Amino acid sequence: MKKILLDDMILTKELPTSAGSKMLDGYMSPFNAAVVERLTEAGYEIAGKAPVGEFAIDLSGETNFEGKTVSSEDCATVMLDVNGSPRRIAAQNGLVYIKPTYGIVSRFGTVAVACSGECVGVMAKSASECKEVLSVLVGNDERDGTMHADGVCKSALGIKKVKKVALLDMGVKSAELDLARSELEANGIEVASVDAGVIESANAAWNILMCAELCNNVSRFDGIKYGYRAKNYKNLDELYTNSRTEAFGELVKTAILYGSDVLSSNNYMSKYDKAMRVRRVIVEAFTEIFKEYDAVMLPACSKTSYTASDDVFVENKYTAPASVTGLPAVVAGGVQLVGKAFSDGALLDVSAILTKEGK
Amino acid sequence: MRYETVIGLEVHIEMATQSKIFCSCSAKFGGEQNDHVCPACCGMPGMLPVVNKKVVDLGMTAGMMLNCHINRVTTFDKKSYYYPDLPCSYQTTQWFSPVAVNGTVTIETSKGKKDIRIKQIHMEEDAGKLVHDEWTNTTLVDFNRTSVPLIEIVSQPDLSSAEEVVAYLERLRSLLRFAKVSECRMEQGSMRCDVNLSVRPEGSDKLGVRTEMKNMNSISAIERAIAYETARHIDALENGTEELVQETRRWDDIKGKSFAMRNKETAGDYRYFPDPNVMPIVIDDEWFAKIKGTLPEFPEVKKARYIGELGLSDYDATLLTESRALCDCFESAYAECGQAKEAANWLLSDVLNILNKKQMTPDQLTLDGKTLGKLIKLVTDGKVSRPNAKKILAEMFESEIDPAKYAEEQGYIVSSDTGAIEATVREIVIADERSVTDYKSGKEKALMAIFGKCMKALKGNCDPQTLRQMIIDVINSI
Amino acid sequence: MEKETLRLLCKVNQLALTEEQKDSFLKFMDAREADIKALDAIDTENVERMVHVMPIMTVVREDVEKKLFTRDELQKGAPETMDGYWQVPRVVE
Repeated sequence: MKKILLDDMILTKELPTSAGSKMLDGYMSPFNAAVVERLTEAGYEIAGKAPVGEFAIDLSGETNFEGKTVSSEDCATVMLDVNGSPRRIAAQNGLVYIKPTYGIVSRFGTVAVACSGECVGVMAKSASECKEVLSVLVGNDERDGTMHADGVCKSALGIKKVKKVALLDMGVKSAELDLARSELEANGIEVASVDAGVIESANAAWNILMCAELCNNVSRFDGIKYGYRAKNYKNLDELYTNSRTEAFGELVKTAILYGSDVLSSNNYMSKYDKAMRVRRVIVEAFTEIFKEYDAVMLPACSKTSYTASDDVFVENKYTAPASVTGLPAVVAGGVQLVGKAFSDGALLDVSAILTKEGK
Repeated sequence: MRYETVIGLEVHIEMATQSKIFCSCSAKFGGEQNDHVCPACCGMPGMLPVVNKKVVDLGMTAGMMLNCHINRVTTFDKKSYYYPDLPCSYQTTQWFSPVAVNGTVTIETSKGKKDIRIKQIHMEEDAGKLVHDEWTNTTLVDFNRTSVPLIEIVSQPDLSSAEEVVAYLERLRSLLRFAKVSECRMEQGSMRCDVNLSVRPEGSDKLGVRTEMKNMNSISAIERAIAYETARHIDALENGTEELVQETRRWDDIKGKSFAMRNKETAGDYRYFPDPNVMPIVIDDEWFAKIKGTLPEFPEVKKARYIGELGLSDYDATLLTESRALCDCFESAYAECGQAKEAANWLLSDVLNILNKKQMTPDQLTLDGKTLGKLIKLVTDGKVSRPNAKKILAEMFESEIDPAKYAEEQGYIVSSDTGAIEATVREIVIADERSVTDYKSGKEKALMAIFGKCMKALKGNCDPQTLRQMIIDVINSI
Repeated sequence: MEKETLRLLCKVNQLALTEEQKDSFLKFMDAREADIKALDAIDTENVERMVHVMPIMTVVREDVEKKLFTRDELQKGAPETMDGYWQVPRVVE
């Protein structure tokens, strides 16, 4: 039987799901995620859970409450991409990850954080393996109300070809980008540098949207129904505050407070509503590029490893464009390719060039 | 100085659906604690909301009944606050584009007719129920009611007295029960009302400080709360007894007073934002027309028709039009038997009696009107006697029967052989000399004894009027 | 951001920060000014807000009741329950 790992944002009945948070330490879900059902039906064996940073919003798993880090395993891993962390991990570890088009893989049974942009994707050693697993995951699920019709979901793996790629270096000079460019060109794919324009500001909008949604989604973790409850409290208010204060890590607290601030009635129009408008502007910027190009190549991160001083709200500049637009993104050979909606299969096919598969 | 009261209402109504608004749990009232619950409505991670179509149907229906404009694109938003009865710490409601806006409801009071403007109707999920346990001094949480679909009907501040408020609520109840949006039962909490009230000097065009009162569980409690709150405001304005502040107050019906609810520094900023997990609901022309086509005649239009066209009394028409189920049953019974007065009589006496005994409300009537019409026809055609027809009616509540077939099986068909009936009557009259003598000497009661014996011998299969006349004729003939 | 605003934010979100954490959050907010500036530089005058990235409309389900979970399954991991209720310190209204 083929083995598969799930990251700890995906709920399983048999194994605990912590979402990387002390809040959900040992939490047992009474149901399986839709992707777990699909994988099991397709004959995969769930080999275990891969640790994630708290609610999967950090750089690359460093905020896991137990300090567990992602170690590369032999089998593919299904991972929820909330804020680009799987893409950064793939880029820095020579792996392939696909964040599919929004709405083609069910989010039913994933710990919700930033619902308007997060997607269940696949990490593996090769693009072809990613494609194999992804083909099991795609398809409509009536329990997720944000999905495309079944045929539309499946069309994402259909035959399309990437012939022309726009390169948005976003100010990063990297050997990977140069190498990827020359390899694509060597395979007859045209690559042209294009100014990123408003796409540079995708993370400014995404930080607002993601934190607001996170703030709202993690407000259900209050110490009452399940999960962590503080030992000491004198009244209901202290139960809430102590439980949440003791269980959430600093990055999540920061995100909660920022998200709450942008939604406050004073800031809603100037920050949250503004971010929603900019979201449309960015979608339109991509549409404009896609009139001429089939995909966009951009960095997935700015460096090969992180230190404590790196800030995810700055570093997510490279992953936010695909998160904020719902477009498919593949990281391979240390670079990122963002494609038109439903071009997931084509992106993986072209990525095989970057990982030198079949050579 | 004279003062006037300015009142606006927020009325919450639980919709009559089988399942909840965003999950498939039962939406029924009651049940054992936390039995109608799933991971979605108890706030566990992983479930996503999927909108119940019937909720949108009923939201549109309510909007149309209250003459609202229906927003053809309607969306859901999230409202955040922490409270143990709110398992996700947010309520999914409609803030930016509610299903219906700008309506009117016409009420009638002792001062005549008045239009009350409706600001909006929005769809949302209900909260759970909290029970306070005295033994442990803790609060117990039951999520059965969580996510039961509600509509909130927000009026403009057009009401100026308790009498108008009561008329408005009764009008809403009548319209929404008629349209089968809800049973609107205040005692079960399926209709609840928050009162926004302020007081100002008569003639002033500036609104006074407004307070919102919650927790009134009956129409009479609402009347008491309005009287109390109005007096409190006037007292504060006239005598400076206290400074009025804009706040939410809880009505305590036992103490007969309102109390400021625990002041939350943060109350009021609910951080609404559009729900990313619920796609916009687009009401196309087909859907719109379908709902429009199911709207019932307004109760007063029906009543006028019952009186004008069908010749019912004002009294009967009023009683019938208090319940949509009664009207539906009446109309199909009438269509079958062609006799409006008979149909109304059967419904308002015999049928209501049975419902009463079963402790059911008229709205819970499920009797098939066509079958009732058939039964009425059997009686008016003289085929089944009235007493036997009542027995058949009782059976109709227990099982699905065809009245004619059932009458036959039970031997309830009136004999058309008048000769045989007369022979039976003659036999009994002759055998009961004493009653005959008594009757002839003017004791009307004696006739009843003979009547009873005859009816028994005939197994009730005889029209009482005919039988009575036949007995008199036989007595006179001997 | 003013300290008072942060105090209220913590209160509505049921969080308590140490003084050090407060300072670090205020610094974080200063850093977000760059985000806000970047957004303000983009003209959105005639742009409609985008809530959902995909144009999917009217996802509804039929009104069918299903019982998929038992109370015991849902309360297995509850910190405190009593007679099938979740239990919390007394709510003061």
